[in-house]
Amino acid sequence: MLTIFKPFYKYKFLLYQLVQREIKARYKQSVVGYFWVILNPLVLMAVYTFVFSVVFRFPVDIPYPLFLFAALLPWNFLQQGIMSATNSLVNNDILLKKVAFPREVIPYSVLIAKGVDFVFSLLLFLLLIVVFKVNLSASIILFIPILLIQVILMTGLALLLSTFNLFYRDIQYLTNLVLMVWMYMSPVVYPLSMVPAKYIWLYKLNPMVGIIEGYRAVIFGYPLEYSILSWALFVSLISLLLGFLVFKKFEKVFADIV
Amino acid sequence: MSDPKITFTNVTKDFSLQGDKTFKELLPSLLEGKSWAKQLRALNNISFKINKGETVGIVGHNGAGKSTLMKLIAGVSYPTTGKMTIQGKVAPLIELGGGFHYDLNGYENIYLNSAILGMHKKEIDLVLEDIIEFSEIREFLHEPLKRFSTGMVMRLAFSIAIHARADIYLIDEVLAVGDTDFQKKCLKRLKEIKADKNKIIVFISHDEKAVKSFCDRAILLEHGKLVIDSVPKEVFAKYSSG
Repeated sequence: MLTIFKPFYKYKFLLYQLVQREIKARYKQSVVGYFWVILNPLVLMAVYTFVFSVVFRFPVDIPYPLFLFAALLPWNFLQQGIMSATNSLVNNDILLKKVAFPREVIPYSVLIAKGVDFVFSLLLFLLLIVVFKVNLSASIILFIPILLIQVILMTGLALLLSTFNLFYRDIQYLTNLVLMVWMYMSPVVYPLSMVPAKYIWLYKLNPMVGIIEGYRAVIFGYPLEYSILSWALFVSLISLLLGFLVFKKFEKVFADIV
Repeated sequence: MSDPKITFTNVTKDFSLQGDKTFKELLPSLLEGKSWAKQLRALNNISFKINKGETVGIVGHNGAGKSTLMKLIAGVSYPTTGKMTIQGKVAPLIELGGGFHYDLNGYENIYLNSAILGMHKKEIDLVLEDIIEFSEIREFLHEPLKRFSTGMVMRLAFSIAIHARADIYLIDEVLAVGDTDFQKKCLKRLKEIKADKNKIIVFISHDEKAVKSFCDRAILLEHGKLVIDSVPKEVFAKYSSG
């Protein structure tokens, strides 16, 4: 299990180079360049705010853009991270066929690149906090351990899906679809309080519910619901374990099947 | 660190020919009770040993198993049965596109490609100047790679591969690309590596002249079988007649 961290010291420079490739190459030959990372959520925020705060008027007690961003930004990180990680091994087929290095480096590098995007998009969140003059709760420090749970979940899914996608390309289309469904099954654009009580236990099986509610709780100072957060941690650890085992089991045939 | 060495003992490599790449194709074939994958024997009971200081040419027609053999030596694929040991660090020449990104400039690509070959920043810094000098395309290196000609990318790829710090160099059909002067230069550089008696060079080529002038030994593969393992002259006598 310790080998899971090997790419971070022995193959540090390779990982760094691949992350750099991912970030630098994406917005080359583009006018706005890296600012797409901010522009994208900004436009989404405007649209969702209009739809869910002006048209539908969801009952939230904090300004809707803030309520939304506390969940939407981490959700974008999850969605884009998993989507690009799923494609990552297939996209690097020539490397898989030519050079030996621990294959996890490839999905890790795209996850890290999306993580960098995420950190930049948080600047937007800080800006909103200033604009709306919201007082942050001191518990915001707990944002980091909750983010860690999300990263564990993402890493597990990334390892699992990138492997399966080598066998069947259907996985990338399926993943895309499932991610869209998953977003609406999570309290990203609407508050958890709107979910009917009789479905709530089922709804809360989704690990992202605990994680997203966790973010909102620690940022805005609501009581943290430990039970669903622990469940999220449990599911995330299972996903990492499963993802890692599957990845390692098939790693030796990657070059043969890609 | 022990001496570089490549040992193959009765190595067989089978591939599953997965004609059915999507569920849509897979399901009907399962229902018809077809086995879901055909087996292809790419290498059949191969045994040989390459010791340090040797330069070995791998010869054979297309589909003879040369690339599979390269994959095994590179450590990205593994034998189905038999035993293989590779001692030493392997530097494969990565074919066009693989270790490069066409939107990044020449310098960025040198670092990227070298990192993929397992080098660290400090090691690359040391040979950066040699790589640039060898490639003869210094004035273009600030441009993104997509502005390069195929020949220029090849030069860069080759320059990086042969400056990588490794024990075993895998050179794959490289001399087919590039002009004659550059080919000569590559052979010269490979001879320098060869002169350092501690390295192994495995050289895949159809070019009889290059193999004869450069390799002390050649291995002929045919339909996954090792036909002859001898001095290049004898191997090519067999290759041309067979």
